[in-house]
Amino acid sequence: MQTTPSSADLDLQADNLRRAAIDKSVKGPVLFLFLNGAFWLMASTILGVLAAIKLVSPSFLGDCQFLQFGRLQPTHINALVYGWGIQAGLGVMLWIMARRSGQELKGGKSLLYVAGVFWNIAVTLGLLGILLGGSTSMQWLEMPRFVWPILLGSFLVFAWPMAVMFGKAFRPEGFMVSTWYILGACFWFPWIFLTANVCLHCIPSLGALAAGINAWYVHGVIFLFFTPVAIGSAYYFIPKITGRPIASAELAKLGFWGLAVLAGWTGMQTYMGGPLPSWMPSIGALTGTLLLIPVGVVGLNHHLTTLGSHSLVATSPTLRFTFLGSLLLPITGVIFALLSNYSTGVNLQFTHAGYGFQIIAIYGFFSMCVFGAIYYIVPRLAGCEWLSVRLIRNHFWFSTYGIGAIVVTSLVAGLQQGGDLNNPEMWDQDFMQLALNSRPYMVARAISWALITWSNVWFLIHLMLMVAGLGRRSSAPTLLHSAHDDTPHAAHA
Amino acid sequence: MSATSPSFQPDSTDLDRLHSAVKREKVDQQAGREPVPMLVIFLGVIVAVLAGGQLGVMTGGWSFKTSNPFHFAAAPDPRPKGLDDGGGADPFQTAMKKGASGYAVCGGCHQGNGNGIPGQFPPLAGSEWVLGGTERLVRVAQHGLVGAVTVKGQGFNTPGGMQPFGAAMSAGDLANVLTYVRNTWGNEGTMITKEMVEKVRGEEKRAQQWTEADLKPFADKNVPGDIPAGPGATAAAAPAPAAK
Repeated sequence: MQTTPSSADLDLQADNLRRAAIDKSVKGPVLFLFLNGAFWLMASTILGVLAAIKLVSPSFLGDCQFLQFGRLQPTHINALVYGWGIQAGLGVMLWIMARRSGQELKGGKSLLYVAGVFWNIAVTLGLLGILLGGSTSMQWLEMPRFVWPILLGSFLVFAWPMAVMFGKAFRPEGFMVSTWYILGACFWFPWIFLTANVCLHCIPSLGALAAGINAWYVHGVIFLFFTPVAIGSAYYFIPKITGRPIASAELAKLGFWGLAVLAGWTGMQTYMGGPLPSWMPSIGALTGTLLLIPVGVVGLNHHLTTLGSHSLVATSPTLRFTFLGSLLLPITGVIFALLSNYSTGVNLQFTHAGYGFQIIAIYGFFSMCVFGAIYYIVPRLAGCEWLSVRLIRNHFWFSTYGIGAIVVTSLVAGLQQGGDLNNPEMWDQDFMQLALNSRPYMVARAISWALITWSNVWFLIHLMLMVAGLGRRSSAPTLLHSAHDDTPHAAHA
Repeated sequence: MSATSPSFQPDSTDLDRLHSAVKREKVDQQAGREPVPMLVIFLGVIVAVLAGGQLGVMTGGWSFKTSNPFHFAAAPDPRPKGLDDGGGADPFQTAMKKGASGYAVCGGCHQGNGNGIPGQFPPLAGSEWVLGGTERLVRVAQHGLVGAVTVKGQGFNTPGGMQPFGAAMSAGDLANVLTYVRNTWGNEGTMITKEMVEKVRGEEKRAQQWTEADLKPFADKNVPGDIPAGPGATAAAAPAPAAK
């Protein structure tokens, strides 16, 4: 070096080195989770196409028993939840927790690989088990019962170092919002997963209550795992890209504790009017509606943080995906409130609308935030930049339109289906006719999943090239928009 | 943190090459101190009120024995009421409706228009076998019919005859189909009820098909039994009464 750098420069460079060292320490496990997650995501979307076609034309694929709707649909959803959602979520959690806490992953890396491999083996066996007819018929827990201890163990192996990192971190007031959520998810998922599996698999003859516990589990995974991970990711990346602080620490606190307190009470409203003591669905309806508060507050906080930086949404892939994800959060909350409360829930209950809600929660809100995170994290770990703007744009728009179409058509189909079934004037219509009426919506669903599959094939290939180190060798990030060439690129990454 | 150790002495050339992405990151800042906006509190209260509405009567008094909070809001029954009991669907209309779908079994031979196929399958429309004694009609459907038969003056002798299709149906389904056959394509006849079919089934356990000669004694006999009051009770099927 020609000149002695000033001490501020030295500090900055030391900080850069420190962050680079953290990235290096988590590189292997995080990329492993992302890559496998992307693979399962593609598998899930392909199964989604097949299942949707099966709904329209039951004779499609012949009468092979392994490929009937009753087996394809749970395989599709389980691949989405366990193969993609939780796996990719763990990757994002690990990276953000390490970065935010300023802690390198010390030791135990091989254990993380083992846990990751076991997680994927368990998911593979579980999904094959469903296709071969070993489904337990419990929503989101269809995989044969031997897989759940493996999944739980693998999850805990990942959750442990994250909790340790949080414990060791220097935690200045107002800096740790994203890691609250991630730490919460580390504890909440094992809690609901263990409770649901022990109740449903180990306690015999629960009767109708088992269905209630099952519904509680599904909503627990959505609101106590997917939601906090995605919110945590958005709280990390929005300030990181815009360079502005989180707008309000007060709102952040309110949103976090609101979610933490309310989310565990939801679920049983799925069976409103059903054979459960009626206060149980009633509590679910209460908290399902109240969740609008934390969800709205978080959405507002993200909005206030992004305000004034909307040009970055056009250029930064991370911010674009995260922005869409955090926009879909309040929408998910509204759809959930519509499904949960008694006035609209009676018509939407047990219809296609439930599927629409699950898809917007997992694929709309959660996955968009995770995609944003992946577009940020992977270049730092792989040491190269994303290859193609076109592929990222293709991924964004096909996913957006696909998900939008699935959710809207599912909701409309559900409203029509439920309204007709509940309409007293329709007493002489048979059920089959009402089911056939939703056929056009199912055609739309098949087409939408096909669009999403298209985007995911390219996402997977793009990610594989990055992980293989075949990305662009450049110090400039891959940005979506070249119109603002006058602004320095470095400001957008 | 670890910047003090000699191995972490910054080397900007290496950093440029390897960690450009890390270098361009923005510095984290402390979260803002904005208070919760008044509007959020206001909207929160509205949501809380709406949410509170999900409790109240919906909890069923917090009892473990109440499972359906909807019972107190019974809507009036929109179905057309029968003339007899003032509740439930009209039995004749129900039988006709269900019989129409059950007729798919018969329609393969006797055709959708009930005219059969000349020389092969006898007609049902206007057939004396259908409109005559119910005893004979039930038996044909229940046990089958074989050999030469004469229907509406035409002779038929289908190889194999008619199989005992009715034996595979429930008594109610068979009764509905027969009621439908007796009241469609211009036919008008009394209802055949589930109890009538059960009565014939109880009396006759034969395994082989009937012949025309065997059935002669039943040609004009009706199975005894109550017919629900209403359009199907008489020969003429009156239009369904309007909903009350």
